[in-house]
Amino acid sequence: MENAWIIPLFPLLSFLFLIFFGKRLKDASAYIGILLSLASFVYSLLVLFERFTSPTHKAESVWLTIGDVQLTAGFEVNQLNALMLVIVSLVSFLVHTYSKGYMHGDERIHVYYAYLGLFTFAMLGLVLSPNLLQTYIFWELVGLGSFLLIGFYFYKDEAKRAAKKAFIMTRIGDVGLLIGMILLFWQAGSFEYDEIFAAVEAGAISSTMITLTAILIFIGAMGKSGQFPLHTWLPDAMEGPTPVSALIHAATMVAAGVYLVASLFPLFTASETALMTVAIVGAFTAIFAASIGLVQKDIKRVLAFSTVSQLGYMMLALGSAGYVAGVFHLMTHAFFKALLFLAAGSVIHAVHTQDIEKMGGLWKKLRVTGPLFLIGTLAISGVPLFSGFFSKDEILIAAWAHGNTVLFWLAVVAAFFTAFYMFRLFFMVFAGESRTDMKHVKESPSVMTIPMVVLAVLAVVAGYVNTPWFGTFLGDWLTDGNPALGHGHIEGPAWIMIVATIVSLLGIFLAWLIYSKRSLARDWLGASTLYNVLYNKYYIDELYEVTILKVTKGISVLLRFIETFLVEGIVKGVAGAVSGLGHVGSKFQNGQIQRYGTVAFIGVAILIVVFTVTGGYLK
Amino acid sequence: MSSVPLSLYLALALILFCIGLYGALTKRNIIIVLISIELMLNAVNINLVAFSKFGVMPSITGQIFALFVMAVAAAEVAIGVAILIALYRNRNTVNIDEVNTLKN
Amino acid sequence: MNVAYLSILVFSPLLGILALLLVPKANESLIKIVGLLATLPALLMSLVVFFQYRTGASLASFTEEYKWFQFGDPSTLGDLFSIKYELGIDGFSLVMLVLTAILSTLAAIASIYIKKEWKGYFMLFLLLEIGMLGVFAAENLILFFIFFEITLIPTFFLIGKWGYFEKEKAAFSFLIYNGLGSAVLLIVIMVLFARTGTSNIEGLTAIIASDSQHLLLSAGAKMGLLVALLIAFGVKLPIFPLHSWMVRVHVQASPSVVMLHAGILLKIGAYGIIRFGMGIFPDQFQEIAVVIAVLGVVNLLYGAFLALVQIDFKMVLAYSSISHMGIVLIGLGALNEAGIQGAIFQVVSHGLIAALLFFLVGVFYERLQTSNIPNLGGMAKGMPITAGFLLAGAMASLGMPGMSGFVSEFMAFLGLFKEMPILAAVGALGIILTAVYLLRAVLGITYGKTQRDFAGITDIRRAEWIPALVLMGIIVLIGVYPSVLTEPLTSTLETIMLGIGG
Repeated sequence: MENAWIIPLFPLLSFLFLIFFGKRLKDASAYIGILLSLASFVYSLLVLFERFTSPTHKAESVWLTIGDVQLTAGFEVNQLNALMLVIVSLVSFLVHTYSKGYMHGDERIHVYYAYLGLFTFAMLGLVLSPNLLQTYIFWELVGLGSFLLIGFYFYKDEAKRAAKKAFIMTRIGDVGLLIGMILLFWQAGSFEYDEIFAAVEAGAISSTMITLTAILIFIGAMGKSGQFPLHTWLPDAMEGPTPVSALIHAATMVAAGVYLVASLFPLFTASETALMTVAIVGAFTAIFAASIGLVQKDIKRVLAFSTVSQLGYMMLALGSAGYVAGVFHLMTHAFFKALLFLAAGSVIHAVHTQDIEKMGGLWKKLRVTGPLFLIGTLAISGVPLFSGFFSKDEILIAAWAHGNTVLFWLAVVAAFFTAFYMFRLFFMVFAGESRTDMKHVKESPSVMTIPMVVLAVLAVVAGYVNTPWFGTFLGDWLTDGNPALGHGHIEGPAWIMIVATIVSLLGIFLAWLIYSKRSLARDWLGASTLYNVLYNKYYIDELYEVTILKVTKGISVLLRFIETFLVEGIVKGVAGAVSGLGHVGSKFQNGQIQRYGTVAFIGVAILIVVFTVTGGYLK
Repeated sequence: MSSVPLSLYLALALILFCIGLYGALTKRNIIIVLISIELMLNAVNINLVAFSKFGVMPSITGQIFALFVMAVAAAEVAIGVAILIALYRNRNTVNIDEVNTLKN
Repeated sequence: MNVAYLSILVFSPLLGILALLLVPKANESLIKIVGLLATLPALLMSLVVFFQYRTGASLASFTEEYKWFQFGDPSTLGDLFSIKYELGIDGFSLVMLVLTAILSTLAAIASIYIKKEWKGYFMLFLLLEIGMLGVFAAENLILFFIFFEITLIPTFFLIGKWGYFEKEKAAFSFLIYNGLGSAVLLIVIMVLFARTGTSNIEGLTAIIASDSQHLLLSAGAKMGLLVALLIAFGVKLPIFPLHSWMVRVHVQASPSVVMLHAGILLKIGAYGIIRFGMGIFPDQFQEIAVVIAVLGVVNLLYGAFLALVQIDFKMVLAYSSISHMGIVLIGLGALNEAGIQGAIFQVVSHGLIAALLFFLVGVFYERLQTSNIPNLGGMAKGMPITAGFLLAGAMASLGMPGMSGFVSEFMAFLGLFKEMPILAAVGALGIILTAVYLLRAVLGITYGKTQRDFAGITDIRRAEWIPALVLMGIIVLIGVYPSVLTEPLTSTLETIMLGIGG
């Protein structure tokens, strides 16, 4: 565990090596990426096992000195970190492997693997960070990795726009985080989590300040985790290669916001307002994104909105003081959402389209991908016995127990939506007759299917680490020795579980009725206003277009006017004054002795007058 | 013997000098410019002589200087008129505005 | 021990000028090699000092002092009113010296794009280097001013003769603005000299500091002098609204000249404000700190908004320089350790980043004859490595952690948030805008559909690798391991903080 810092260095090595020498390696660069990510996964696993028996380990050294203040960098292995390490490195390793098949033949495959390495490095670094500053550093680097990978197909205008949007939207959140972090620093005198928590506990920070900083930091989390209103970049980010969507925009980076809030949980619990904000934003995002997901036609966009919605769930959990529930759902979601994305990638790989209206009947063609996708769908819909069921249940209980009744019912509705749109997706893709030519559709190679199988297994069994039936191992372990994080398990009424089950089954049944059995019209919403609003994502993008963008452009244009007329005017004035003086001066230089004489005489006369009036220099 | 006070000599010299200066700076005819310069020199001479008689320490030096100035003025006029004649032969003019070749 | 070490360092490019006199006018490659070689002694010598200092050597032993000239009678006035030839360095000026030497060498490499009259170019170039090195090594205000003027004249010719279409106009507006700035600076120096009888910087600092009763200079006069200094150096920096000359120069001068101009010459403004403004008039500086910080935020936002609507990439970079210099002012306005250290970091970091970006402009302008963003689209297809460097440079510029820009931005804001949180929050908007305009410009160039035929166009090659890699390497080094800069700066910072009394 003392050497845990080495974990992020494997992918960094991969990045550096591939960026410098990758061009010569071509396809072989994939092996380097895979091997190094495997190394960090194995090491993470070791660290996790060690963490079961030994206490938190933390090591730091000075990074930057400012006067008397020393900012440190280092690493920390506590329960949350160790768990995240394994999740991140595992998914990263699987995605590395999967990409070998998916990206096969791309001439820039070494760049792709280099970027993956950079991202994995940053994400693992983020997870290990013992203080806010270091978190922020890796937080930004994670964003960089995401930006590069979204824009991997740089020659497509959509990719360019999506990459830019992702970077800028998350940057807006990051500035919130930066401000919150700096304010907190001047209050607590340190960026270290421990010292911040100690200061909060000791009451050294005023409650307004706690609320303010917590909300500012939460804005950062909103940006990364795609919470309303900073969510619009996430669906667009699907322009990147699909494995990337699985890694970054489903399992790891977007969960960083949730992770950040979880890391700073004692700060949030110290302010009821901040906690409430987190819960409301989370719940609203959950239902908001789920409603959009109902009508999308792009397989990846449906999954993207479902990610946004699930992240909302996690935020709701944390905002309802359900630390364990949030982290638990973060873990299960990482597995089943990565599975869904990889399976979607496999489908896209096979049919070369992302439009679900053009798919159908793929169950027979894709004999491996189909069932795997079904497992993922069942898990996310919260069908009993699958992992999503347990974690979602925890969240609902947490929301109920915390007294957020309204939010609880919102979450229940969102769960219904989720089940519905996920099975709509499943039925449209795999059931029924194929709607286009499917002759050349082939199952993906095993290098792609094996990672999916691993994830599928995890999507089923990951839930059993924390169940009300067999024991809440995860919760007990996570909160062990840290009472500030709340209880390992929150007791809730049994009917919640039943309601959740009924709701999700109802959603599945409805989807089956419409999209598989067709007892109801497929275009049940028709071209109604509601449909258009949903399909266009509540016109949020357009709203930003006409407000923020226009305003910014307007200010720029206004300032350009100031620049051209005012500032340049000053320039012209200065230049004019100088050349004017020059003209006046040159009038005297006309070559006539008499003019020179006149000037000289006048000069002398003035000097004499001055001299007599002032009485001379010596006076 | 009632004597004329120093200030009147100085006033006369001042008037003479101003007339000379005005002529030297404004007239376009080189001959008149030369004559004006003579006027200024003579104004100086009057001052020198006046101071040599009525100054704080009367002495003969002023008058000697006046004689020097006359000699230098004669030489100057000789050279000036010589240049003027050469110029007239070349340019056929004695107008000062047309003699600005030094400028370029 | 080090007899005349600094003098040799500062005047070493003179050797190159002499050597160039002997080289025939038409021998292009030899001229370029001599020009490049002539920058190396200063580079090596400054690096040697830097590493000696890092290993614990004292910088005091480098101080040189010779009698130069004197006003009045030495028997009665003693040392008063004598001007000495004094060179000396502290941590801050050492860092600037190293930066100057590095950028000079790299700019000499980038001078391969110069198309005509190489001999005159390199002679002026080396003269400019002498001026820049001298500015940072001078311990005496008069000497400082002389070197300051030495930088002015070669720059004027370098812009006016080897630039692009409107080069003359740019050169003249450079000269007029900077000439006025110099005049103001000269007045300040003269007033100080006449009142105190010394032009030694340390001596002046001590005298003004002991003059808390305002016997030598009234409080108003001190404030006036400080404001005059701010104007003089504000022209250089540049501070809004004194910036328009700088935009022209950035657009019209050749890339190698702009590398030096954006990398070093602008930084003389910051150096002057820190060294003289803050060093000599700490009390008055404290009084106007708020104004400085506000100016900084204005610079930051104004530059960013204008960069947002430019079509020419060089214009974007020019306004981004204005915007980034705002961060220097923000740091200075904060007037605490974090802020000042951030400002100095930003000076160094922006020097490197701007040099890198302008070098890259040179690389693709040489090949494509345009810096118009819409015309360049999709460059990553044709020139992937250049595009990669461009993207990396933009990331450094917008403050991506792991690169030098982040460290400076972070510290400057850390400082300002302590003193004026609301102003700082407004300024933080600039961080978003920086990302917006840089991505808009750089992605516009590198990403998207290919706008032109890249057939027959080579990517970055041979000698061009050196500046790109070296600059990128230093940027990352400072970003990852900032102590490489903080340690030399510690003593300077302590002195400044002592003056401010914080």
